[in-house]
Amino acid sequence: MTSKVAINRLATKVPGLDEILGGGLPEFSFNLIAGQPGCGKTTLAHQIMFALATPERPAIYFTVLGEPPLKMLRYQQQFEFFDTEAINTSIRFINLSDDAVVGDLDRVLKRIVDEVTRHSPALVFVDSFRSVVLASETDGNPHNSLQQFVQQLGMVMTSWQATTFLIGEYFTETDANPVFTVSDGLIWLRQSVQRNSMVRKMEIMKMRGQPTLPGLHTFRITDAGVEVFPPASVANSPPAHPNATPLARRLSMGVPGLDEMLGGGLPCGYSLLVAGPSGSGKSILAAAFLAEGVRAGETGVIAAFEQSPSRSRSRVVADLIASGKVGLVENRADLSIDEVGYMLMQNIRRLGATRVVIDSLSGFELALAPTFREDFRESLSNLVITLAGAGGTVLMTSELEDRYTDLRFSPYGTAFMTDAIIVQRYIEIDSRLRRVMAVVKVRASAHSDQLRAYSIDGDGIHIGEMLAHQEGLLGGRPTTKLAAAGPGKRS
Amino acid sequence: MPSPESDGIATFLKRTVRDGASSLQIAEAVSVALQGIDEALTPIIGKRGVAALHQRTVHLARGSGSWLILTKEGVPTAMDFEALKSALAQQEAIDAADQGALILQTFHALLTTLVGPSLTERLLRPAWATLLSGPSAQDTTS
Repeated sequence: MTSKVAINRLATKVPGLDEILGGGLPEFSFNLIAGQPGCGKTTLAHQIMFALATPERPAIYFTVLGEPPLKMLRYQQQFEFFDTEAINTSIRFINLSDDAVVGDLDRVLKRIVDEVTRHSPALVFVDSFRSVVLASETDGNPHNSLQQFVQQLGMVMTSWQATTFLIGEYFTETDANPVFTVSDGLIWLRQSVQRNSMVRKMEIMKMRGQPTLPGLHTFRITDAGVEVFPPASVANSPPAHPNATPLARRLSMGVPGLDEMLGGGLPCGYSLLVAGPSGSGKSILAAAFLAEGVRAGETGVIAAFEQSPSRSRSRVVADLIASGKVGLVENRADLSIDEVGYMLMQNIRRLGATRVVIDSLSGFELALAPTFREDFRESLSNLVITLAGAGGTVLMTSELEDRYTDLRFSPYGTAFMTDAIIVQRYIEIDSRLRRVMAVVKVRASAHSDQLRAYSIDGDGIHIGEMLAHQEGLLGGRPTTKLAAAGPGKRS
Repeated sequence: MPSPESDGIATFLKRTVRDGASSLQIAEAVSVALQGIDEALTPIIGKRGVAALHQRTVHLARGSGSWLILTKEGVPTAMDFEALKSALAQQEAIDAADQGALILQTFHALLTTLVGPSLTERLLRPAWATLLSGPSAQDTTS
């Protein structure tokens, strides 16, 4: 048995928050939730409070001079986490405006201490703490200074074994503010606006004794409340999946002939890039990949970024989603890669999914908020590694403009990060637009080097023969080989 | 917006009239109910918050009759129980019961429009309980 104190970590139940906090919120900690107006501070505080408060572990929510309490209650109850039955049992709202309005911090502190003594809350919230500060500054108040106030408040709350949250409107984190020094935890919320796009970001600037996740993490506020999206690599860190062993097992692609071209199927845990021009059948190939998995008793997940999902989603994919065997990550406004990764991982966990499709990278990039497009390549690489680490075999489609003088596989330079590549091209033969497909790469595995013609009908993709009599296929306008050409044949 | 609680108040007040309560007793009962509301809401929304709701309640209730006058102009700082009590006490007992019930029902309806029926019921439950479980208005004179 150790004689060191064990710090209990409270699970906030705010999706993703405990991960970036480094395992939850330290009990009895003194925290500041800060940010500009409208960034979600009060919502986050309420969500944490409703999750943690119980009759045995009650909460007091002090309102000061900020948002009128009636309005706050009116809006906060729109969230799913708001439980009316908890009011006046496990959660008590107390208004301090009459004490704060005179700007006497001693009086505010006394009132807080009185109420805390009276109700012995395990959780204390002061909203908005900034208004306490402003009220004390209004008329050169001779009473308690802010520093003393904060220090005393922190001391009292810790002594009363209360986990405390001050909610405050602060505009710059570089302010020399005593609150920042005294607090054990500093959760900073931001809104990043670029053109018409707005992205919410959260940073744990400080959390004493916790291995927090550094950096800015995107979050979203929906009817369910705040949902934070830690990087998929950290948030989900699943144990090494058996599928992660390369070449241990190969997955069938669901397109007759393609498995042979890949050297016996796609190795489990590999990422495959299917690149081709518009209409070449990339999404059909992706759908076949998912359907084949379901047929073999596996489950999958698809991140679909079509412009109009209801119209353009294939019947095969729609049926798979309806069957519950394939999860769907849908397009949303102002996405971050972390958010997509988080949702993919949620589906992988929920369904035990082993096949992951991202259709397409072009749509994915367009769906991202502009602020994230800069890091697209790097973030995508991390995402693919994480998905593979979780046992997912990943198929990504990529729109590739046919450039017959330039053999490329991806407009994003993503080719290097994938384990396998299939490229599809249009070619012209006898005044017809034909399609050819080739396996360009399967890491650490033999594979076909053939350029195979293929067709698409209602049953999917049908791979045909090599166009052995043609040459210059990749140039788009092949010619019949001279040696093989008979009399009268086109040359 | 009628509710079981506010209807219960109206029934209670009418019953006390039938039992022979005077308008003053009715006024006192309504005042007790309002004080219960004040006690229930002041910790949560502050004295000024409750006073503002009361002022609006009186304004809305006046729409159906000119018996009640707003005693103070401007932003109220506390609920004015005395003005209301005095206005009700000057009515006939049955009118005082109707008008007192109207005030309480209006307050309930106003809060309901702001924070919804569920939370209103939750917040005002102690106030109604105090009134309905306490001694009847008739007993208060003894």
